[in-house]
Amino acid sequence: MILEPVSYKGGVYRHDEILDLIEDLGGYIIQKHIIAQDVILQALIPKTDIDLLRTIARPLAGEVTTAPLVGTEIAVVSMSLEIHHLPHASCDVAEYLRTEGAKTNMIGLARGFGKRIALMNEEERAIINEHDCAVYLLGNFESCIQKKMPVLRRGITVPILVCGAPEREKLMQIIDPPVDGYIGGVGRFMHRTKEAGEIARLDDIVREVAQVLDTKRAAIAKDPLSVSPARLMDVIISEIPDIRYVTSPIPVVVQIDGLRVKLPFDLYAGEIGDIRIEEGIRIASLAAITPSRMRNYILIKIKPFSETGIRV
Amino acid sequence: MSTLDYFEVESTDKVGADQYRRLASVVIGDHGLLKVIQKIHIYIDPEVPVFVAVGITRTLLAAIRVSDIGAITNQDGQVIISINEETYLAALLQVLWNRFSKDMVQQPDRFTIMMDLTNEEAEILPDMIVIDPTDTLYKDLIYSMQIICPEGFKVRKQNFLAGKFYFVASEDTLPEDIMPLVREKFALMGETI
Repeated sequence: MILEPVSYKGGVYRHDEILDLIEDLGGYIIQKHIIAQDVILQALIPKTDIDLLRTIARPLAGEVTTAPLVGTEIAVVSMSLEIHHLPHASCDVAEYLRTEGAKTNMIGLARGFGKRIALMNEEERAIINEHDCAVYLLGNFESCIQKKMPVLRRGITVPILVCGAPEREKLMQIIDPPVDGYIGGVGRFMHRTKEAGEIARLDDIVREVAQVLDTKRAAIAKDPLSVSPARLMDVIISEIPDIRYVTSPIPVVVQIDGLRVKLPFDLYAGEIGDIRIEEGIRIASLAAITPSRMRNYILIKIKPFSETGIRV
Repeated sequence: MSTLDYFEVESTDKVGADQYRRLASVVIGDHGLLKVIQKIHIYIDPEVPVFVAVGITRTLLAAIRVSDIGAITNQDGQVIISINEETYLAALLQVLWNRFSKDMVQQPDRFTIMMDLTNEEAEILPDMIVIDPTDTLYKDLIYSMQIICPEGFKVRKQNFLAGKFYFVASEDTLPEDIMPLVREKFALMGETI
């Protein structure tokens, strides 16, 4: 069964019917936001049932759209947390990716600025590597991007996308060895992105990120995961009642090949590892459960079928 | 930025220069310096690397005095200030408290200030300066230049004298004498320093 990431926007009235339908179809609700009278759902549903969902949503004035970034966690890497880079462009990019269904985390490097003096420390690298991909927001000058990229990419194992003011072709030319994605025309700026050209650039970022993540999904599909991250999320939410007391908007973050559970590692890692997904199959036998470098969360990376010999 | 007589961003990197032109105009506008700066020339060479901003300010805005903020009446030593420009009320109270002490300054309602003053004090009251825009101009100018210039350029030298300012910054140690570069950029605006 191929699950398709979708976004549902509709009213609060009878939205529980949509929730039930998604669950009945064998889909998973990744995020649910109720904003005033509106409900926004990010969900994974079987590809063949999208039309059915649209048909049922129509009388409720609900809108179903494909959202390729649902079920992904993306690191938006800003070169610092100074006013030079925040809130624009870093927040603009992170916010736009969220509207497309991604869970974004902004990572401000301690010393990412400068051409010669740019640095990245071990903790920053480890945190970036916990994500599905990293979007680097670089500056306006090609010589600076060229000079500092080797430092910023060292030790990064997830796909990197580079945003910078030079055109895409120029970025491809100056970054050697190549990275996974390039978005030109998005350098350092200090105003809210609202003009048509600027929104088009943000759309380019979404398109490029989606493409990079599709490639990653295709690579994973060759040796499928032992269990779907969305299913694992469902199991954890139903088996660990304390997850309901987590104040974070998304207590369990779904990634392409794992989960981030926002519970203390020391207290809950063992309990999560012992959960039985099916008879005789514990989570610990299907996934690596490690402490996240982000606060004291739990990071779960699902092992591939080739490693476990199990497919749930 | 039509209100500036001269505004140029020069760089060895054309794409970067265009980006910085937009960025500088946003920062100058956001910091309320459009009315203050008359001419500005920014030069960035990312290869060196160096950032130079030179400019000229307009004739500075006049200081805000007590008489500009409200109507003053004096009835046998009891001075009443009826506020008509609330923007400066907080600063005015601070000035009055510092000069006459808090006990002497009564504020029965939001727009009225009452004080018992001697004749000499009542005479100087209308001309007392509440806010002098020139006090913060230098800080505002340099702060905005710091924001415009690339963040890694931590080594800097700046000056503001007689309506002319310059700001030079780099990631590396600056040359001992930066004045030839500054003079060259002033010359491009048709000015000297």
